[in-house]
Amino acid sequence: MKLQTKLALFNLLSKLVFSALFIGFLPLLIERINTLQTDRELIDKREQVIKLISEIGLDPFITSETETGFGSYNILKEEFISMERADLDEDWNFIEVATRIVDEETIDYRVLNYSIKIDGQTYLLEIGKSLSSIRYAAKNIRTVILLFLAFFIAVTLITDLTYTARVLRPLRIITRRLGTTSSPSFSDFSPVVTTTKDFRQLDQTLRDLMARIEELFRKEKEITVNISHELMTPVSVLRSKLENMLLKKDLDPEIETGIDESLRTLHRLKTLINSLLMIARLESRQYLKEDDVNLEELVTEVTGELSPIAADAGVRITSTCTGSCFFGKANRALLFSMFYNVVNNAIKHTPPEGSIQICGERRGEKFYLFITDTGRGMTEKQLEIIFSRFRTKLDPEIDSTGIGLAITKSIADFHAIEIKVTSEPGKGTEFCFIFP
Amino acid sequence: MNVLIVEDEKSLAIEISAYLRKENFLCDMAFTGTEASEKIAVNLYDFVLLDLGLPDYDGLDLIKEARKNNIDVSFIIITARGAVEDRVRGLDLGADDYLPKPFALVELHSRLMAVARRKFKITAADINLGEFIMGIQARKLLHQGKEVELTKKEFDLLHYLVINHGKVLARHQLYEHIWGNTLDDQYDSNFIDVHIKNIRKKMNMHGPTPWLETVRGVGYRISMEE
Repeated sequence: MKLQTKLALFNLLSKLVFSALFIGFLPLLIERINTLQTDRELIDKREQVIKLISEIGLDPFITSETETGFGSYNILKEEFISMERADLDEDWNFIEVATRIVDEETIDYRVLNYSIKIDGQTYLLEIGKSLSSIRYAAKNIRTVILLFLAFFIAVTLITDLTYTARVLRPLRIITRRLGTTSSPSFSDFSPVVTTTKDFRQLDQTLRDLMARIEELFRKEKEITVNISHELMTPVSVLRSKLENMLLKKDLDPEIETGIDESLRTLHRLKTLINSLLMIARLESRQYLKEDDVNLEELVTEVTGELSPIAADAGVRITSTCTGSCFFGKANRALLFSMFYNVVNNAIKHTPPEGSIQICGERRGEKFYLFITDTGRGMTEKQLEIIFSRFRTKLDPEIDSTGIGLAITKSIADFHAIEIKVTSEPGKGTEFCFIFP
Repeated sequence: MNVLIVEDEKSLAIEISAYLRKENFLCDMAFTGTEASEKIAVNLYDFVLLDLGLPDYDGLDLIKEARKNNIDVSFIIITARGAVEDRVRGLDLGADDYLPKPFALVELHSRLMAVARRKFKITAADINLGEFIMGIQARKLLHQGKEVELTKKEFDLLHYLVINHGKVLARHQLYEHIWGNTLDDQYDSNFIDVHIKNIRKKMNMHGPTPWLETVRGVGYRISMEE
C-alpha cells in the first residue's frame, strides 16, 4: 500500500473512531448538559418568582377564588408554574422528573419543587419545563453535530489527501528516478526541491551513494580498458615471435604443431580481451550512436554474410520484414554484431535440414524482430545463464569463448533494445528483439 | 624499401624487423619518441611503423612534426588502443593505415605492400593461377576469358592467399584479414573452410586448382611455380 494511502486511511480511521465515540456518548452528554441548563433556568425562574412575591406579595397568585393554589400553563404546555398551600414537615428544594396530566394529556416535566413560608403559611412553588421540548432541542443539536462531523470528515479527508500528496511528492520523484536509472547515476537530475528535511537528507544520501557507485563503476571500466590495452602488447610480442619461429626452415613437425597450437591459443586470448574491451566500452557508453539503420537491410546483410555457413550446415534461413523498420540514433556496426552473433549461434545449434526464420514486424510504436530456429533448444537452467559472461559452455562440441551472447546483450542494453528468449529442448529457440 | 619501427616494446620491434628483413625491407628501430623524431628528421624512410603508446611522446605528434617539415614518409599506426577515435584521429593526421595489436606479421606485410602500391602508383598486374587469371584491378577471376563468379569475400580470400603465395596462412590469420576484430567470437570456426570449399567448387567447374593447398590442421597455401 502506498504511504499516502496509508496516511490518509489512518487519518480517516482515527477520525471515524473519534466521531463514533463522540456520537455514542452524545445523547448522554446532551441530556446532561440540557438537564443542567434546564435546572439553572428553573432556579432562575424561582428567583424571579420569589423576587416578584417579595415585591408585590402573594396577592396576584393567591386570591380568594383560588384559595388553595395557583397554576399557570403556557398555551403549548411547555412550561408551567404553580403555587399552593401545603403542610410540609420540612423545607423542599429539589428538582425531579414528574408526570402531569394536563387537559387529558400526559406530559413529562422537569419540575422544581420549592417550599416558601409567607406569613406563617407554607406554600409549595412548582416550576416545570416539559421534557419533550428539552428532548426536541437535544435532537436538533444532535443532527447539527452529526452533519457537521460528516462534513468535517469529508473535508479533512480531501485536504489530508492533497496535503500528503504534496508533502510526499519528493519521495515519489526520488522513487521514480531510482526506477528509471539503468546505470548507477543520479547526475542527470537536479536535487529534489522540498522543505521536508527528511527527503532532502534521503535525496542527498542517495546522491552521494550513487556518486560513489558511479565512480567505482567508472574505475572498473577504466581498469578493464587499461588492462585490455596493456595485455595487447605482450600478446603482440608473443604472436610475432611465434610467427617468426614458424618461418624457420626444417622445423621439427612436432614443434611446428606446438607453435601452431600456441598461435591459436593466442588468437583465442586476443578474442577474449577484445570481447571484454567491447563490453567495458559498451557499458561505459564509449560508442557513438549516430546511424539511422534500416533493420531489414541489416538483417539481409547478416544473412548474406552467414549464408555460406548456413548452406554448408544444411540450414535454411528465411527472412521477412513488414512495416517501417528504421531505427534511429544507433550504431550500425554494433547492431550488425548483435544479429550476427545470434544468427551465427542459431546456425551452430541447428542440425542439418533445420531452418532459421527471421521475422520483423511493427506493432504500434515498437518494432519486433524474431529469430527462430529449429535447433536443439535450451533448458530453463541454460536459458538463465546464456547472457552471462563466463558461463560454462552449453555445448562442449562447439568452440567459442561463450562471450558472444554477453556482447549481444550489452549491445542491446546500449541501444535500450529488449531481448526475450524462449526455448524448448528439442524444438528450438526464439530470440525476440524489441526496438523502442 | 626503408622502414623505421617506432616501438617502445623492444622485443616486438626486433621481431617485426626480423620478419620484414626476410621480406627484403631495410629496417631501423627507435624505442622512444625522441629517438624516432631525430631519426625521421635525419634519414629518409619510405615507411614509419608507429606505436602510439610511447612513454615520452604522443605518437600522433610525430606525424604532425613530419608533415610540418614536409617529410614524405608513410605512417602506419600500430597500437594496443584500438579505440575508434584514435583510428580516426590518426588517419585524419595523414597516417596511411592503422593496425591494431596484436596483428599478424603477414598482415603487416600486406598492408605495407598495399601502401607502397598506392604510394608508388603501381598498377597491380594480372596474376596467373594455373589455368586461371586473376584480374586485380577489375577484381575478376577469369578462366579462358570466361568469368568465374566469386563473392566479394571469396575474392578477397583468394587474393590474400595469392599475394602471400608460398606462405601457409592460418585460418585465424585469414579470418582476421577478412572480418577484422569485431566478429571473431568463434576463434576456431569453419568459416574459412566453408569459403575455401566454395571457391574450389566454383573454380573446379572450369579447371583444376592443385595450387590451392590445404595444410593439415593449420590453414591454406597457394604455391605458384615462378
